[in-house]
Amino acid sequence: MKNNLLLLSSLFMLFCIGCDKKNKDLVLPVKPEKFPQVIRFADEIGGELEDSDEFSIDLTLVDRVDPEGEELGGKVVPLQQDVRVFFTVSDNMGIDDLASYIKAGTALYEIDACTSSEDEGIDLDFQFDPATGNGSVVFPKGVEEMELVFEVDEDYLNDAVLNEEERAIEFKLVSVDAATENVVVNTALSFTYEVLDDEGVHGAWELDLENTAQFAAFKELFGLVNEDIAALNLADVEKIEITFELEEVKVLVELKETELLDECGETEEVNKVIELELELEELSTLTSSGELEATGELELEDGSLLEYVLAGEFSILDNELKLELTNELEEESVTAELLLTR
Amino acid sequence: MFLQVLDQKLFCMKQVVILSFLLLLSSIGWAQPFNEYVLLKGVVDDAKNKSKLGGASIQIKGANNGTIADLNGAFSLYTKPGTIQLEISYLGYRDTVLELQLEAGAVRNLQIHLSSSTPELNSVVIAGYLQGQAKALNQQKNADNIRNIISSDQIGRFPDPNAAEALQRVPGVNIERDQGEGRYVLVRGLAPQFTNININGEQIPSPEADVRFVALDAIPSDQLASIEVSKTLSPDMDGDAVGGSVNLITRMAQSKLPHINGSIAGGYNAIMKQPNWQGQLQFDQRLGKKEKLGILLNGNYYLNQLGSDNWEQAPNDKELELRDYELTRTRSGLSGTIDYRFNNRHEIYFRGIYSRFTDREWRRRYVFITEDEEVEKLTKDRFESQSITAVNLGGKHRFNGFYLNYEGQYSSGIQNTPYDHEVAFIADLPSSYSVTGGKFPQLIADGYTNSSKYEFDEVAYGGSYAKDQNATVKFEIGIPYRTGASTGTLKFGAKARFKQKSYTISNDVYGADAGVPTADAFDEAPIKSEFLKGRFDMGRPINMGRFNRFFNANPGLFELDVESKSIDEALESFDAKENVVAGFLMTRHQFSKLVLTGGFRFEHTDVSYNSKDVLIDAAGDLEAIRPVSGTSSYSFLLPQVQAKYELSKYTNLRASVASSYARPNFGEIIPAQEINREDRVANLGNPSLKPTSALNLDLMLEHYFGNVGIASAGVFYKKLDDFIYRRVIFNGSYPLTGTPIIPRIDIIQAQNGNTANLVGLEFAFQRKLDFLPGYLSKLSLYTNYTYTHSKATIQSRDADETKPDATEKFRLPGQATHVGNLALAYENKKLVVRIAANFNGEYLSEVGGNSSEDLYIKSRMQLDFSGSYAVSQRFRLFAEALNLTNQPFESYFGSKSVVAQREFYRSWARFGLKFDLGFGK
Repeated sequence: MKNNLLLLSSLFMLFCIGCDKKNKDLVLPVKPEKFPQVIRFADEIGGELEDSDEFSIDLTLVDRVDPEGEELGGKVVPLQQDVRVFFTVSDNMGIDDLASYIKAGTALYEIDACTSSEDEGIDLDFQFDPATGNGSVVFPKGVEEMELVFEVDEDYLNDAVLNEEERAIEFKLVSVDAATENVVVNTALSFTYEVLDDEGVHGAWELDLENTAQFAAFKELFGLVNEDIAALNLADVEKIEITFELEEVKVLVELKETELLDECGETEEVNKVIELELELEELSTLTSSGELEATGELELEDGSLLEYVLAGEFSILDNELKLELTNELEEESVTAELLLTR
Repeated sequence: MFLQVLDQKLFCMKQVVILSFLLLLSSIGWAQPFNEYVLLKGVVDDAKNKSKLGGASIQIKGANNGTIADLNGAFSLYTKPGTIQLEISYLGYRDTVLELQLEAGAVRNLQIHLSSSTPELNSVVIAGYLQGQAKALNQQKNADNIRNIISSDQIGRFPDPNAAEALQRVPGVNIERDQGEGRYVLVRGLAPQFTNININGEQIPSPEADVRFVALDAIPSDQLASIEVSKTLSPDMDGDAVGGSVNLITRMAQSKLPHINGSIAGGYNAIMKQPNWQGQLQFDQRLGKKEKLGILLNGNYYLNQLGSDNWEQAPNDKELELRDYELTRTRSGLSGTIDYRFNNRHEIYFRGIYSRFTDREWRRRYVFITEDEEVEKLTKDRFESQSITAVNLGGKHRFNGFYLNYEGQYSSGIQNTPYDHEVAFIADLPSSYSVTGGKFPQLIADGYTNSSKYEFDEVAYGGSYAKDQNATVKFEIGIPYRTGASTGTLKFGAKARFKQKSYTISNDVYGADAGVPTADAFDEAPIKSEFLKGRFDMGRPINMGRFNRFFNANPGLFELDVESKSIDEALESFDAKENVVAGFLMTRHQFSKLVLTGGFRFEHTDVSYNSKDVLIDAAGDLEAIRPVSGTSSYSFLLPQVQAKYELSKYTNLRASVASSYARPNFGEIIPAQEINREDRVANLGNPSLKPTSALNLDLMLEHYFGNVGIASAGVFYKKLDDFIYRRVIFNGSYPLTGTPIIPRIDIIQAQNGNTANLVGLEFAFQRKLDFLPGYLSKLSLYTNYTYTHSKATIQSRDADETKPDATEKFRLPGQATHVGNLALAYENKKLVVRIAANFNGEYLSEVGGNSSEDLYIKSRMQLDFSGSYAVSQRFRLFAEALNLTNQPFESYFGSKSVVAQREFYRSWARFGLKFDLGFGK
């Protein structure tokens, strides 16, 4: 019997060994529910014309799994406590004296569509030393996104020549001071503020409405992707403007017809507009002539999106921009030459 | 042509079968009840070593009445009072005739000891081996249906570590392998879902999420007393088997003497240059003065460190992959049986088995995406465990005039993948390759092993948990009867099975915009000294642990793809219930040398499921995840008739006509969808899928040799309606109907084919070659060969709106034309040496979008060696070596010249000691 017990014990031990799994060199990753909140720049790049008096940087929290399970694509889950985020200027291109350019700054967040934290007198303790390029700000609890606004000297970079060198400032997040909050910052990402030269293609350009051939060319070019533009009458149009921003081309048709717009409790009579927004894929900058390519999306009746491509060349002579563009939508394409002025 | 002729005659044959059965039943109507009878009970064993002789034939001479001893040598038989001559026969043993005086109403208990007629069986050293074979062949010979039996002793003769590999030695059985080890069984040319898997007579659930069939590499062969492969069905068996039914039988205590046996072994894997080891220990004893209580406990553990070198290509995408696998696998099992015999009439039993299979896998690979001029470098680290638990509680009762058997079973199958990590880096590198000659690709990719060129792409952290549970209750009642000079047993019974299956996954994919170093920051020294015998350089692979440490230290650099997580987890998760109720009525009737078994089985199935449907809007964004529920139900009435005619004492002619069906897998019917945009593969459920119904015809002639052996030849035919096959629509659009949202995606979906016919021939020969002179007389041959041919009709893959009804014919997925085994052994009193070859013919694995995209598994022949030497009565040294010729796993698309994959495992070997410490020895 003793021997039997001994053997049975051996059997049991053998089985226990069998249950053991050796997880050699296993390092388990942090689980999503314990994964820290991450503060990062909302965008990697931004830009304003050289005569602008400010630029801004947005900070945001990275999307997480919605604890309520309602937002399937995830959502920003605000912090429970205020934390202080430290940032720095990591690179400066073409701006001789940062302290002369950046005069001051502030931080704010949107409380609702008509109210900001600044309106409510909430101080986020924005600190920035242009001499060292170091700064910090409070990222408050309960907020999804906040904005750092840098006031700059509008004359400092505003010259009358087309600059050949890029002018830009690169920011990086450095660290976060959080007492109890499980939060980190993305230190690898950078935000680059680019100064857009208004002697180049950037900025707003207006179509000469007295030139009926130009109006017809515009209608044909953009009427391909927009029924309202295709149906335009010259007599109904107040203004046509094409604006080149950092990563976007906006086509705006302002009609003579007006409408009442209620914004934050104030009613204003404004002209109706038709607007197209195209994403710039390619644009020659710091040059008076070059190439551009932009894509836009046309929403079909079933909700699906159809991409169209606007591509061609531009050249600037004095105050006039000449665009030679082809608009392609599936197998259809329209080519036109437009002349615009500032 | 032959198939067409058979097909036309099937309807008539069905009518004949039903008519025959009705005639049989009507004869029972005139039957005389056994109001006065005697119950004979007993055990047949070996006169010398007392081992139980399962499968022994017990016949009353001069009367058409007899029975077969069960696996433990036990039998029971109702007969009329008076003087009878009871003849007991068993292959390899002298026939024994007992003259008995029987009084009405008595119960007579017999202990029958047979003496061997074979010199080797008298040798206590060799007895265990030949007796195992004899036991298996006796059960096979005396069974009412066509079945093959592998005894545990016979499993031990081949170097087969798991149940799947043991089954590959059976005629008509093909196996699918994973990393060189057998996993799934394909019986008679039909895919794994056409065969049900049982433990101790009851179906067990599959640990895997999407399927019903069980990966048999999870079950160590050391846990089994025997494996039965029933190729024809009787009404008391589950009807959802078309290819066959596999029953894994655990062990029971045999003797009042305490008995301990086991083995310990160690080995070596050539490709990994790593050791492996295994151990097994069993204790069993019958306790009490009358040996009423039997206890058996068996445990085992097996650890194998293995690997493979693999290359594969997607010729349509011009992508080549080099895959380097490293695995650590364990198999552990614990089984036990407690049985209690109250008296000669009543007994109860409790049987349990728990087996656990674990698989830690590292996969290191390069993907050469030639068209994009990119190369991916990836490492995967995954742990998976599969556990199967089955407990059976039942009883057997012999009453005056009838017997009652009943059983309840709970079983579960769990597949747990606590982590499944894969990190991917990508480099902008041009590459090109060609596969001329079909053996190895010629690759041009300068600098692809330079880890510093690879930038972080993404890391995926996944996991899953699948659970399948069965709760089953069943009973059967048998009533003996006589009609004139012949006797029979009328049986009826019922069964209910309640199944619950669920599956949940987690899938966290992280990307990073910047800040993650290139791959050289995480690489490590190569695991293997060479890959594909030095043909390719795998460079320094990424160490997953090193990357994960970086991930944990720098979480701010990574962002979770929440939308993908929501989609993936919703699409794959489901829970389902399946309730099956069944009843049967049958008779086993003996007309002199003819045993006719027939009856009907009715099965009704209700399925309900809950899953989630993911709606992706026309712009391709996640719109909603909605719960979806559904039900389906189906019923089958299955007539089944079998005949066994004893042409001579050692020769049987068998015939069978039986209806059966195969259920669709849960993963096939639940309308959940799995879409992997990265791999461009979508798996879609098909809620309108129907079970496959089948009519099975069998004819078998078998002759047994008195010195333990068999020669058999058989023909079988199966007609399948609504057969299910896995169709791949290459470069399709998702969804299949409506507005396409995802173009150029491979869609995999189970579909019903129209009809399919399968015909096969099966031959087996197994005997000692003792007719040869001298030492050659010590040789024995084990060989079998199965030929199958099938033709299935499906909607043509060229069908479109203009010709939607166009059809095409092809062979059934899983059907290999040629399957066979050849083993030659030398056996003397102490030494057994065996060389065994197993041939798996090529078969269609996946049906593609057109014939050039059909995926075939190439034929493969594996050569194994086993040998043992008996040091003493109790100890035996053994050695085993597998895959001696380094046969690869190979597949191809459409034509053999378009190789899809070649995977090499090298050989592996074990050496050890087996012991059998029967204290009575």
